[in-house]
Amino acid sequence: MFCGKEDKLETMELPNDSGDLGSEMEVDAFRRLFPLRFYERHLAESIRPDARPLSRARDTTVALGAVASANGSALAKIGSTTMLAAIKMEVMTPSVELPDEGCIAIEFHMPPICSPLVRPGRPAEVAPVVSKQLSDTILSSGMINLKELSLVSGKAAWMAYLDIYCLDADGALFDAALLSAVAAFSHLQIPVVSLNDDGKIVMLSEEQDDGNLDKGAVNKEKRKIALSSIPFSLTCVLHKNYILADPTAEEESIMETVVTVVLDSSNQLVSLYKPGGPVLARTSVLQDCVALTRQRIKELQNILDEAISGMEVD
Amino acid sequence: MGEMVREDGRTANQLRPLNCSRNILNRAHGSARWRQGDTEVLAAVYGPKAGTKKNENPEKACIEVIWKPQSGQIGKLEKEYEMIMKKTLQSICILTVNPNTTTSIVVQVVHDDGALLPCAVNAACAALVDAGIPMKHLAVAICCCLAESGYLILDPTKLEEQNMKSLAYLVFPNSTTSVCTEEASLVDGEPMEHGIITSVTHGVMLVDNYLHCLERGRAASAKLSDFLRKSLKSQLQSDS
Amino acid sequence: MTTKHSAVPTTYSPSPTSRSKPSVSKDSIVDWVRPDGRGYRQCRPAFFRTGAVNAASGSAYAEFGNTKVIVSVFGPRESKKAMMYSDVGRLNCNVGFTTFATPIRGQGSDHKEFSSLLHKALEGAIILETFPKTTVDVFALVLESGGSDLPVIISCASVALADAGIMMYDLVAAVSMSCLGKNLVIDPITEEESYQDGSLMITCMPSRYEVTQLTVIGEWSTPEINEAMELCLDACSKLAEIMRSSLKEVVSGSQE
Repeated sequence: MFCGKEDKLETMELPNDSGDLGSEMEVDAFRRLFPLRFYERHLAESIRPDARPLSRARDTTVALGAVASANGSALAKIGSTTMLAAIKMEVMTPSVELPDEGCIAIEFHMPPICSPLVRPGRPAEVAPVVSKQLSDTILSSGMINLKELSLVSGKAAWMAYLDIYCLDADGALFDAALLSAVAAFSHLQIPVVSLNDDGKIVMLSEEQDDGNLDKGAVNKEKRKIALSSIPFSLTCVLHKNYILADPTAEEESIMETVVTVVLDSSNQLVSLYKPGGPVLARTSVLQDCVALTRQRIKELQNILDEAISGMEVD
Repeated sequence: MGEMVREDGRTANQLRPLNCSRNILNRAHGSARWRQGDTEVLAAVYGPKAGTKKNENPEKACIEVIWKPQSGQIGKLEKEYEMIMKKTLQSICILTVNPNTTTSIVVQVVHDDGALLPCAVNAACAALVDAGIPMKHLAVAICCCLAESGYLILDPTKLEEQNMKSLAYLVFPNSTTSVCTEEASLVDGEPMEHGIITSVTHGVMLVDNYLHCLERGRAASAKLSDFLRKSLKSQLQSDS
Repeated sequence: MTTKHSAVPTTYSPSPTSRSKPSVSKDSIVDWVRPDGRGYRQCRPAFFRTGAVNAASGSAYAEFGNTKVIVSVFGPRESKKAMMYSDVGRLNCNVGFTTFATPIRGQGSDHKEFSSLLHKALEGAIILETFPKTTVDVFALVLESGGSDLPVIISCASVALADAGIMMYDLVAAVSMSCLGKNLVIDPITEEESYQDGSLMITCMPSRYEVTQLTVIGEWSTPEINEAMELCLDACSKLAEIMRSSLKEVVSGSQE
């Protein structure tokens, strides 16, 4: 991981080249004092300080079932950005207009452990914005058919509480959060429940299963929900004519123009999000971002499929 | 693609009547009211005031946007609008002229009848000009709606927004008229206004449909920026 | 394309809230059977890993059975503006829970009581003189609550402090004990904690044989307290060995 940095030492052409440690200190100082120039020197050579080519995303992993107290959960890592998503299923009375539909409530949290910029009692400014972006994306993508969350028409339906915690913030927060959310839904198992005499939905514990099943059982077996057209995203940073895929926190703070493209599995555009930024995006640049996202969603789909098949073997 | 009849009898590309008035608040350093049909937004600019907020770069001017909804408390949607507006306005202001200062833009929604965010961007832009905040160029915002069939309409009303499959809010830099020759103002062989400052989309659409939105939005933005320039000019003359 | 702005409906969890299992009271002579099949004096397997959060100066992840905790340490860094000048460094602690940490979905808010207990437990072990005028922030997040949460947070925090290179007299290890009827069980899980008649927690620096915090809640007889303290102190020194080896692993790993 550090080899990239070392390789670049020669190209920095610093006045002091006495000893390895000395020049390493100089590079560090240069990086802090002139961050933009530091990056531009790298970009001119088509490489990034962490040894990635411009269009490559960081190593990505997904682990399903990270939290036992939830009905579905997943841990997603993109580089060091880490997200923990968990779904808890509760029962609600559906609205009069939509008696056959359940509901999904999505919340994105940035606890103080994730970044030196977040302090307790002072929530991060971006957290509600990412929260809103995630619910817009997940709900408008049509990934989940809300009718599948119905229990008893007009009487009871599932409310899926999806909470996503950022455990380590190092750029591309939305991408990692969306990946963990999608993975948590693919791990979700809807519990076995029945309608009791008071008209309430109760969980059936495993011992009770055999006798009570026929009597008012609403959901006879643990089941997964079908996911159609799963959305995946890629965030890019624009700087001059360069497009950097999957930026780190440092890259996001130095080069401020960010574009996030969300595509679903049939390559339809779910969201193209560019909130301002000093670089104006020409149509060809946006098309390049979309093309990079197309490649990336294939990788992400494979990573997710592997995680799911890994669970089935266990 | 069959023609779609719009409730108010407009054609697909037709914008609602525009109205912009500046300098309407006494206490603010700059203010503007922007009306697009029945959607109306009031923007007030205060500043530049000394000092920047925590976690902001003191070497640059800081822009702060405060969104006031028509009624009720602010939620996630308003927070998102504040963030989008802040980043959009940051990109058109010259932030190095007044380092270590904060300029606050208060956006008050008077009435929402669709295309609220674009309307607010236009209002804020006019208010910044009114306050004399140094800017690189103006920005104009537009909303495009897409129907299931791929049919596209501009500047939708609230009802149209709700009935359509997807929509895109787009912010373009306004077309510049400068003393430079036309070639000199080109950015990589394209005029600057071909770039896009902000894009926010809702709902699923084909990539081609989005590109179509860009094209149509860009064409309409030329009209919008003509209107903005004209209304700023006429009021400048009446001021003096 | 319609955006619904209806108020969030009230929901309830389908899992039963009142348990039908007989509770073990002080009078009952029945022996408590541990739900996870451990012996009374047996702790859960402990796992520590440092460097869980790259954005922090130091961090650690701890897993004891189903109890999963992450602690990040930031600093020493500038104290809050309102703070007065101080010769010695400040310690600031915060403990939070995720909304899904407990069986019933919670609010995911900060835990004030744990925050202050964590502060008290660590304060005595840190050499505050080494970072005058500045603050060290210790933030903990309980990912999943499986019982004995506070002792796990404290042990994990001390590993995270060591990872951040904050000077300490010794690692702080914490172990708790529950009293169920006449039985004393070490390192209780949530279910045991919900039936307990009393609980005792010791946080100590094992190599110095010094206690930084001792909390006793509920009904205890003096011999019981003595026995529980002995057991906890013994467990603490074993736990400290595990914590120390997790720190050594990282050092030897990075030198290769």
